[in-house]
Amino acid sequence: MSFGSPYLTLPDFQYLRPTSLQDALQLLDEHKDDAKIMAGGVGLLAFMKERLVSPSYVVDIKGISELGKIQDDGAKGAVIGAAASLSQLLDWPPLKERYKALHDCVWELSDPVLRNRSTLLGDLCEALPFVDSPTPLMIFDAEVEAASVKGRRQIPVSDFIKGLAETALEPNEMAVAVHLKPPPENSNSLFLKHTSNSEFSIVNAAALCANPSRPEARVVRFAYGALAATPTLVREVEGIFQSKGSISQLMDEAVAAIKRSAEPMTDVLAKAEYRAHMLEILAVRALTKLLKE
Amino acid sequence: MEAKDNTLLLDLIRDKAEVKSVKAGCWRGECGLCTVLLDGKPVKSCLVLGVEANGRDVKTAEGLAPEGQLARIQQLFVEKGAMQCGFCTPSFVLTAYYFLQINPNPTEREIREFLSGHICRCGTYKQMIEAILEYAKELKQEEEIPLPLPPRKKKQKNQARSD
Repeated sequence: MSFGSPYLTLPDFQYLRPTSLQDALQLLDEHKDDAKIMAGGVGLLAFMKERLVSPSYVVDIKGISELGKIQDDGAKGAVIGAAASLSQLLDWPPLKERYKALHDCVWELSDPVLRNRSTLLGDLCEALPFVDSPTPLMIFDAEVEAASVKGRRQIPVSDFIKGLAETALEPNEMAVAVHLKPPPENSNSLFLKHTSNSEFSIVNAAALCANPSRPEARVVRFAYGALAATPTLVREVEGIFQSKGSISQLMDEAVAAIKRSAEPMTDVLAKAEYRAHMLEILAVRALTKLLKE
Repeated sequence: MEAKDNTLLLDLIRDKAEVKSVKAGCWRGECGLCTVLLDGKPVKSCLVLGVEANGRDVKTAEGLAPEGQLARIQQLFVEKGAMQCGFCTPSFVLTAYYFLQINPNPTEREIREFLSGHICRCGTYKQMIEAILEYAKELKQEEEIPLPLPPRKKKQKNQARSD
C-alpha cells in the first residue's frame, strides 16, 4: 500500500533466494541494512517503487520451508512463520477458534488475490501507524522471534514497533515467526477498525475477555493502534477488571485509563481530537460487546 | 527470456513477451488490472518480480482458449455485456476463471468478496456477476468441470514463460 507511485520501476538491486535460514542470516549479517527481506513483497515492492527504500539486495525467503509453517505452539499457542501467506493463515482453523480478533483483522488486511502473497509479519514489520496487525497480536501476548547469525531472541509485539517505520530488529536480524500465547480459557475477542473512505485505519482496537461474570477468573485485555506512531497495550485494564465492582463501574474506570494512555497524533488522515474521540467510542463498543453481551 | 533482477513480472509480460492483455493500472496492487495466473493462482503482477516466475507457468487471458476461440467464461462476459472499455476485462476473466475452480457454486456475495481488490472504472460489476453466476449454473449441469486447457506448444503469444 502506498500514497502514490511516482515511479513505475524498481531501483536496481540483486535478487537473492536462499534455500536455508542459515544462508539468509549470513546474507543479512554481510549486508545489514543494505539487504531487505522479501516475503510476499507487497509492502516492499510498493515502497521500493516510491524510493522509500532502495536496498542493494533483496532476500526472498519464500524458498525457506521452515518459515512457511503455521502450527500449534506450546500448550496450544500458535506460531506463524514469516513466509506463511495470509491465505494460509485464514485457512488454518484454530485461528478463528482461538484468536478471533486476529482472524477478523487478517480478513480485512489484504484482498483475496493479494492474500496469496501478503504475510502477517510483512504487515507487522512495516511498522507504520495504520498497520493493523500489532493490535490484535498484543492482546494475545504475542512475541516476535528474531534471528541472526548470533542466535535468536523473543521480542514482545508491544515492544516491537519503536517509531515510524522503525522496528526493534537489529540490521542483521530478521523476524522469522510470531508466537502467540494460548488464549485464556473461555475467552472471546474482537477487533474493531475505524477508517473513513480508505483502507488506512484512523484508530483500531482489539479486546479480549474471559469469564466476564466471575471476578476471580475474569481476564480482560485491551489494545489500540493507528492512534500514534506506536500501538499501545493498555495494561491497566487487565488489573482494573480483576477487582470488585459492578461491570459498569469497572468499564468506566477502564475507558478512563484508556483515554489517559492516549497520545493521539494529527496527520493527513485525521486530527488528534478526532482520534481521541473515536478511541473512546471504540473502547466502549469493544468492552460492552465482550462484557455485557 | 533474460531480464534484470529489478524487472517486475508485469513489465516482463508486457515488454519482453509483448503480451498486452495484461494492463498496468496503479502499479501498487490496488486495481488488479495486472492480474495473471502464476501456477494457476491469481497474482497481481505489478507486485511480483519477473525472476520469481522462473520455471513457473504464467497464464494470461489469451491462454484460456486455443487461438481464434473464446473460453466459455469469455463468451459469457461478451453475452452479458460485462465490459465497456474492456481495459479490465482480461484480468477479470482470469480471476473469474480461477474463482470458479475453487468455488464452483458461489453466492453473489462470495463473488463480490473475491473481486474486492479488483476495480472496473466503467462499473460493469453487475454484468460480470451475472456472467459468473451463469457459468456456475452451466458447470453444475456438466458431468465434470472442464479442465484447464493444455498449454500451447507454439511460441509465446498466449503464455509468457521465463526461463
